Amino acid sequence: MSDSPVSTHDPKVASDSVEGPTPQDQKKMEQAYAQMKRKMSMQDISKKIKHKVMVLSGKGGVGKSTVATGLALSLAQQGMAVGILDIDITGPNVPKMMGLEGRRLHVEEGRIHPAQGHLGVKVISMAFLLDNEDTPVVWRGPIKLGAIQQFIADVEWGNLDYLIIDFPPGTSDEPLTVAQSLPDIDGMVIVTTPQDVALLDSRKSITFSESIKVPVLGVIENMSGFTIKGTTAPGSEVEISAPAGRTEKTTADKDGNFSVTLDIFKKGGGKLTAEEFDVPFLGALPFDPGFVRGGDDGVHRIVSEPEGASAIAFAAVVSAVQDQIKVDDGTSLEII
Amino acid sequence: MTDDMPTMVRLERNELDFTLTYEDRSEFVVSYDDLRHACPCAKCSPLRNDDESSKSLRRDIEKLPAEKPKIRKVGKYALGFEWVAGCSSGIYRFERLWLLANRLDPDNGKPYVHGAW
Repeated sequence: MSDSPVSTHDPKVASDSVEGPTPQDQKKMEQAYAQMKRKMSMQDISKKIKHKVMVLSGKGGVGKSTVATGLALSLAQQGMAVGILDIDITGPNVPKMMGLEGRRLHVEEGRIHPAQGHLGVKVISMAFLLDNEDTPVVWRGPIKLGAIQQFIADVEWGNLDYLIIDFPPGTSDEPLTVAQSLPDIDGMVIVTTPQDVALLDSRKSITFSESIKVPVLGVIENMSGFTIKGTTAPGSEVEISAPAGRTEKTTADKDGNFSVTLDIFKKGGGKLTAEEFDVPFLGALPFDPGFVRGGDDGVHRIVSEPEGASAIAFAAVVSAVQDQIKVDDGTSLEII
Repeated sequence: MTDDMPTMVRLERNELDFTLTYEDRSEFVVSYDDLRHACPCAKCSPLRNDDESSKSLRRDIEKLPAEKPKIRKVGKYALGFEWVAGCSSGIYRFERLWLLANRLDPDNGKPYVHGAW
């Protein structure tokens, strides 16, 4: 490597006994130099990104990537410059949700340029590096760690208002590596669904946040309630069989329209988890089959229905996240 | 309850207590023992549910050596207090500290229920 500061000349050693470092030592020194350059690059990148928000869940399948992309798009809707870093190396699906499936990344002068999805959101994901989406990534810890650091340090994000970082489920290496590599992370949001198993795992995530010294911005309850709408005779009573043997009743309005919200996975658990750990509850997102269709088609619900109920719910959650970030700008409180 | 809470502008750590100053220039002194007894973590909170365990928690705290905690900002909404001995898990929202400063019950009289669902 031509720009390496590593010299094989040691003036203390007599010229007749000159023995440079072994190839292994040379390689180690070059690796250390590359690592140092990467660290400096991370510091520089951090200065260009105003806010960094981690999105985690204790359990898989709670819609974490949907929430991460939703937060990014909702912020972008407000005119913010936003990027998403999809750290889910083994199951990267943000590109599909952002309509970027099959896209390749552009690399120039050793810098990776993110792909641009809906509303100008910049996206970096392992999916862009896979030849085939059916190919599994089977990496052990150190390789995974190197890839994550590269995704942080070697990406040309430009100036961003928000970087949303989407993680695989659980409390594994990835959030720890990011927390240690990227300075000044504003905090993490925990995504959960209302059922007990998800809530139990969310509580682990909250405790985990304390151990990696990243504050919890709050808890988001996803798949909170499914609203069905219909039409019948004006003023007539409607009974719907709900989960757990319950019956939901409503009365049709004067035009015969009615709507009922069914709590498919119970209700209010995210709020209770937030209260239990004394962290903010950022809001509930409805169970919306449109997210599934949108995810598959590459058009997020917020993009296809920007004025829809889900987009409104996301905007409320984003507002709550922003409140947590700006309530105290960190400079007004003097601690002695 | 805390709608009219002013913004905290200064926290000064003393030997056995700390002084909170708010933007309206009001000042309050809270002892470290009171602060630790009001720890909101999932381990300490249930101990305040009944008088006996609450008193026991208080006695255990009073036995701890006096020390000034390290203080960290948690997000933009709370503070964390790190102690050499004793529990450092609790995240104290500014509202909680305001209630403590005003000698009000930081739990609002509600018992802690672990896993209510």
